[in-house]
Order: sequence, then C-alpha cells, then structure tokens
Amino acid sequence: MGGAAVSGKTAVSGADVDERVVLAGIPLRNAVLTASGTFGYGTEFAPFLDLTRLGGFVAKSLTLEPRHGNPPPRIAETPAGMLNAISIENVGVTAFLEEKLPALPEGVVVIASAFGTEPGLYAELVARVTAHPRVAGIEINASCPHVKSGGIEFGQDPRLLAELVATVRRATSRPLLVKLSPNVTRIADMAKVCEAEGADGITLINAIQAMEVDVERRRPVLSNILGGLSGPAIRPIALRMVWQAAQAVRIPICGVGGITNAEDAVKFLLCGATAVQVGTQNYLDPTAAVGIAQGIADYARRHGFTRVADLTGALLSPKGQ
Amino acid sequence: MSANHGHAFPHPPTRSRARVLANLPEGHGRRLRLAVPDWPGSQPGQFLMLGAGAEGGAVRRDPLLPRPMAVYRELGGRGDAADCAAGERVIEVLFRVVGRGTALLADLREAERVPLVGPLGRGFAQVEADPSTPDPNATPGPASGPAILVGGGTGIASLYEWARVLAARGRAVAVLLGARSAGDLLGWLDFEALGVGLIGTTEDGSAGVKGLVTGPLADRLRESVGATVYAVGPTPMMRACAEIAAAHGARCYVSLENPMACGFGVCLGCAAPRRAGGFALVCRTGPVFPAQEIDWAGLP
Repeated sequence: MGGAAVSGKTAVSGADVDERVVLAGIPLRNAVLTASGTFGYGTEFAPFLDLTRLGGFVAKSLTLEPRHGNPPPRIAETPAGMLNAISIENVGVTAFLEEKLPALPEGVVVIASAFGTEPGLYAELVARVTAHPRVAGIEINASCPHVKSGGIEFGQDPRLLAELVATVRRATSRPLLVKLSPNVTRIADMAKVCEAEGADGITLINAIQAMEVDVERRRPVLSNILGGLSGPAIRPIALRMVWQAAQAVRIPICGVGGITNAEDAVKFLLCGATAVQVGTQNYLDPTAAVGIAQGIADYARRHGFTRVADLTGALLSPKGQ
Repeated sequence: MSANHGHAFPHPPTRSRARVLANLPEGHGRRLRLAVPDWPGSQPGQFLMLGAGAEGGAVRRDPLLPRPMAVYRELGGRGDAADCAAGERVIEVLFRVVGRGTALLADLREAERVPLVGPLGRGFAQVEADPSTPDPNATPGPASGPAILVGGGTGIASLYEWARVLAARGRAVAVLLGARSAGDLLGWLDFEALGVGLIGTTEDGSAGVKGLVTGPLADRLRESVGATVYAVGPTPMMRACAEIAAAHGARCYVSLENPMACGFGVCLGCAAPRRAGGFALVCRTGPVFPAQEIDWAGLP
C-alpha cells in the first residue's frame, strides 16, 4: 500500500497543516469566510457546496425592518470588476432569526451583519441578533457605499465611527467586527478608532465608491448613479489598506477585496489579515471559498508553515533591505 | 426546505466545467453545443450562467462575470449524445456577439472548457402552476387552449423546448419568431422540424412577413379562444405582446433578461419592479413571469 499512501497524501494535501484560526474571538475551521452581500443567507449555496466546510459566512446586511433595494439597473460590469448599488435589500432581522438561521445546517459559523441609519438602530439590531445562539459574531456595516444615509457616513467620519462602535459595543458581548470603508484618506486612523472603542476586529475593505456611464444613452449606468466597485480590480487597494491597518492596530483584521483564488488570499494573510472573505468571486463560482481554503493550506505546507495562523503578518521586507 | 430556499428547484443546479462539442455559426449568431458533466436536466424556460470564455491556464479576471443564457435545446440521449462521456449530457445555447463576453464565447473551440452553473430560475410550467401568481384573466390550473409562443431576437432561444413539450402534450402550438433580418431568425430549422405552426417576421423583409412580430400575434389572438401567449425578447416587444394579449383577454407570460452577476439569488442585481410594489428577482422568481405582474414602466 506504499503507493496508495503517497497518492492518499496528495489527495488530502493540506491535512498536515492546522487550518484553524481565531478571528476576533471566533474559532474558525479555516481562514476563509464569505463576504456579506455576496452569499445571501447561506442556503442559496447549499446546492453547490457543504456550508460546514467554510470557515464561516457573513450573512447579508440586516436592518430592523425588511427593506427593498434600489430600482434597476443595479449592477454593471467594469474592467476586472463590477459595480453594484443594491442598497441593503434584506428580509429584516425577524425573518433572518426566525426563518433564515434555522434553515442552515448545524456547524455552520454564521456572522450576522448589521446596518442602520443611526447608532441606536444598529445597537437595537445587534442586541436582537446577539440573543440568538446560532450567531457566532457580528459585523457592523459602517461602509455601504450606495445608500442615501447610514453606512458610509459612519465609516468616513472618525467621531461618528467612534460613537457607532461604542454604542454597538454596549449592546453585545459577542465578537464584534467593524467593516470599514475604503473611501477614506487614512484607513489606519479609522482602524485605531475601532480598536479604541472596543471592537474585536476589523473587516477591510467594503466596495469602493465608483460610477459608470453609458455614453450612447448619455446616462449613468446605475439608477443610483453611484455604486460600489468590487472584484479583482480592487484587490491591490484592499491589500494596501489591510497592510496599513495591520501596522496600526493589534486587533485582528479580516481581509476582503477581489480575492479570486488561494494566492490572492495568502497575500492578505501575509499583509496581516487573520482571515479573509471571498466576495464577488462567489457569483462566478459558488464553490470558490472551499477551494481557496484548500489552496491556502497547500501554500502553507509548501512554505514550511504548520499552521495557517502563522501566515498572518509573515510578509518579509523588500529584497535588499 | 424549498420554503426556506425561497425557490423550488425541480433539479438543484450544479457548477461544472462544460466541454465544447461544437461552436457553429447560426445565421448572424452562434450555436454552442456543450457536454455538461452532471447536468440534471432543465425545464423549458430555465437558464444557465456561462463563463465569459474558455478556462485557460491563467485565471480570467476580465471580463469578470458569467453570461446568462437560455437553455436552448436539451439533446440528452438524442442525436449527438454519442459524443458524451459517462455522466455528461448535451445541451445547446444560441447567442449573438454583443460585447466582449459573447465575443470570447464565439471564439470557443472544440474540447475547450467553459464554467457553467445551472439550470437556474423557474420555467414556464413552474410559473404557470404556481398558485401564488394567479392570473386574473385565467381559470385556475394548467392552460389547455392554444399556445402562442412569440420570440424576438435571441429571446427565440428560450422557446424551443417549450414549443417541443407543448406540442408533445397535444396543445395547439403556434410559434411566431421575429427578428431584424433573416440571419437573426435563430433556430428556424429546428422549429420547422417540430411541425408546429410557424410564422417568421423580419423588420427588413429579408425573410417571412415584413414588420414586427406583434402583427401576427394580434391576428392570431383574433382567431383564437382561450389562448395563452408566451413572449420572450426585448423588453419593448414583451410589453407590446402583454398589452395585445390583455386587449384580447388572453393570459400572457414573459421571460425577462435583466443583467445579473450570479443567477441564483444572491447578487440581487436582476431585480424587476412588480406592479404590486417591490421587486422580484428575475433569476429566482423568474425569469418567467405572468406579464401582468411586471411594472413595465419601471424596467430600464
């Protein structure tokens, strides 16, 4: 069986590497989550993959009441990416807790995403999801780039952000991540605010505010005019921001932005992320996240790491320095 | 379970790497014949998401998104199924080159692989049978009167399997296909072979009746009792069909083609405004809808 043992090892490549990480106090079986707004409420992916093989997933951002989104057109393809202006269309927190969460298989790590137009509404929502045993942690969306009010306002003003994080912190003892906007001048400052106000971690980055024009029709492509750019086009920007934030704070960072494969994901880990989220790639390949987790473990083994957790911040200096 | 999913798939969709069996000219368009591993079979009117070009050595990041395409024909165990490996089934899609993504699809060569997710959405029979979308013009239950299928441009591709199934059930089927010119009447010979009543219209008069397909539709409806119209094509065409059907007291179903990134209910990009307020996802509640549910003025 010697030959079989060798091929067996190839087939389970990565099994010798400890894939587990702890993100903001949430134990994950691997470092790959899926990003809010790109993974629905999880059950949409059940035909394609075993949800328990994910590190976890961040559910669609919730509001206290169900919410309709923007009129179409809501999306547009752009070079190596896409714009969206959905505007937090969601089923509302009650339907999430009573219908969506119970539909998920046991063992799936679920992080709820909270959205609101003022800190008190975020806190009320967070208090409600905190009470549910299936919620492993909470991510607050302080960065939606395409709603008329809320979201990005908090992510762009350090004083508003401080008030939001402090208010939500008082509403929950669960692991709390803050998803920050890339639409700021100094991301490190915003990361420090989150740390100072008691956030357990930071998710970086949300979509980048952007627009597109249909020249023949002489109109903006999106009904909302502005949208959020996601996909591979934003990955180097996201990487830069994760690296800058990691220099500035000690709380863990979840890296997100344009990850299409394991190599992309490893870049975020090396730059200081503890875990990553796969976003737009889920649309193209609903099985992507599971393959990326496997690929990270393969990378770790090839490079002599026994724990994926040790990849975090393992970036070396530029050659010659 | 289906209640929690919010959609009842007759067959759960799969993600696979389809193998190109043939990529043929089809008038001004293309006919792509694919061998799809683990394809569970589709219902008439369902669609799939096709990667924008062949899988190569490098990851393709631009154009990024897959393209929604109607499942034109299920060849399954018929015809070219001899080309199939075990577990593969043969399907066809028809398309026209309208941009970079479809240009890359037009370049696909035999034996290349292309990512595919499907089957997706709800087809004609599922939507017709859905008691949550009753048609005020109709008596409950499956339609039994004449079926008038109206296809415009690439919308023709959504209708072949439905025409085949209806004809096999013994329904009186008329197929009206309209396009800009003769070369845009995709699938014409296949429809002819079905032996259903077939009328073509072209805007330039290069084939069939010169004019819009809505002309023969009105003629047909004047002659029919209890007819149901199934219209697929550009939004203005479907809207006109819906209005003509309503004027004749006929029920009408349409299949929308809004842009979408995923095809299975998570990007929320394909939302169509409902007359009753709010939005319905074309990929999940549709693409087939009772025409009177759509707020036509709210569609781009």
